[in-house]
Amino acid sequence: MTAWARALPLIPSILAALLKAAVTTLEITAGALAIALILGLVVAFMRRSRSALAVLAAETYVQVFRCIPVLTQLFIIYFGLGEFGLRLSPLTAAIIGFGLNGTAYLAEIYRSGIDAVHKGQAEAALAIGMTRPQAMWWIVLPQAIRTSLPPIGNYGIGLLKDSSIAMAIAAPEITFQATAIINQTYLSTQVYLIMTAIYLAMSLPLSHAVRLLEARTGRGR
Amino acid sequence: MTAFPRLSELANYLGEWMPQLGTAAGNTLRMAVLAFILAVSLGLVLALARLSSHRLLARFAAVYVDLVRGAPLLALLFLVYFGLPSVGIVLPAFIAAVVGLGLNGGAYVSEIFRAAIAAIERGQGEAAQSIGMTYPQVLRFIVLPQASRIALPPLGNYAIGLLKDTSVASLIGAPELTLRARDLSSEYFMPMEIYLVSGALYFAMAAPLAYAVRRLERHFGQSGR
Repeated sequence: MTAWARALPLIPSILAALLKAAVTTLEITAGALAIALILGLVVAFMRRSRSALAVLAAETYVQVFRCIPVLTQLFIIYFGLGEFGLRLSPLTAAIIGFGLNGTAYLAEIYRSGIDAVHKGQAEAALAIGMTRPQAMWWIVLPQAIRTSLPPIGNYGIGLLKDSSIAMAIAAPEITFQATAIINQTYLSTQVYLIMTAIYLAMSLPLSHAVRLLEARTGRGR
Repeated sequence: MTAFPRLSELANYLGEWMPQLGTAAGNTLRMAVLAFILAVSLGLVLALARLSSHRLLARFAAVYVDLVRGAPLLALLFLVYFGLPSVGIVLPAFIAAVVGLGLNGGAYVSEIFRAAIAAIERGQGEAAQSIGMTYPQVLRFIVLPQASRIALPPLGNYAIGLLKDTSVASLIGAPELTLRARDLSSEYFMPMEIYLVSGALYFAMAAPLAYAVRRLERHFGQSGR
């Protein structure tokens, strides 16, 4: 009996188990994205602050996190902190790790979004008596976020796929679950193909949506 | 709960770790360079295929790029390393990693080339054809030299990402920096110290590359294209 013939009757249960794990994949993605969206804004503001120390701290954060693999960051948070008694669950460690890593990328996205807003906008806001923070919050930021939406969407899709790496710290997401099924069934090709199809089913519609968004913001400007 | 070992102890440990981690970092670089060569070659072929007038070829390239970019790198690595043996192709982990990273990177690089080629004014190609150049000549002498210049900064960024992504190859057991760090970590039970050191090594490799890309971006930004 070939592996494919053996796999065929198992497909429904494999699919069900992987789809259940897909919820964890989405949890990691959404949790990490939420952290990165908020902290990324903080870092982007720090880079524009008038305090040289804040600028230096923000620049260093972005440089360091962008030059070290996210897998290393996950190991430091999960195994490294564990060594010092701070034991996080794999899921929590994955959300924090991807969130802190994503913060550096989101800070860059926000920055180019803010840079793309015409200078005259902030100057006009200051001229009618707004303070600098007011001008940033009410005038510059809403426009910057609009231009940032497509790259944020692309980053989110990348995150969805990268969350597969969290299997290395045993976070029970799709890839981890697929490997567990293979350890029981020895159907590696079949299970990994089904797993890949599930990732594609999530990422392809999202990329399509981002492309539509890009076309719209491109026209609106 | 353990504390960081005293500095003198840490220095002793570093003396034991560094030769091993250094060798492994060399493997990481080798893996990244080989995958980069594969990705750029494949990316160029895919970009030209998408521009070709042969519709089936263009369609195939477009589907390849969409599928590979939609799937996680780790899934591709698992399919190459664990999946290909079922059709009789057994690759050592290091080669499987290079192949997987290269197949994955080809899709991204082809998009970089495509955007760069599109950025070259269509008029330039038309002018070259009107003075009697054939289409391959136009590509070879007019479009590609300019397009590769535009493609340099994004290619640099891709190389930085690739260098970091080689760490994922540790999950198929390919000998590189992260795998070595994992082995050391289970030998010494000092994951924090060891992963920080391996992180520093990645930083030492990636930061100069990131600096060069920033210089390149500024340089091309100023030259007013």
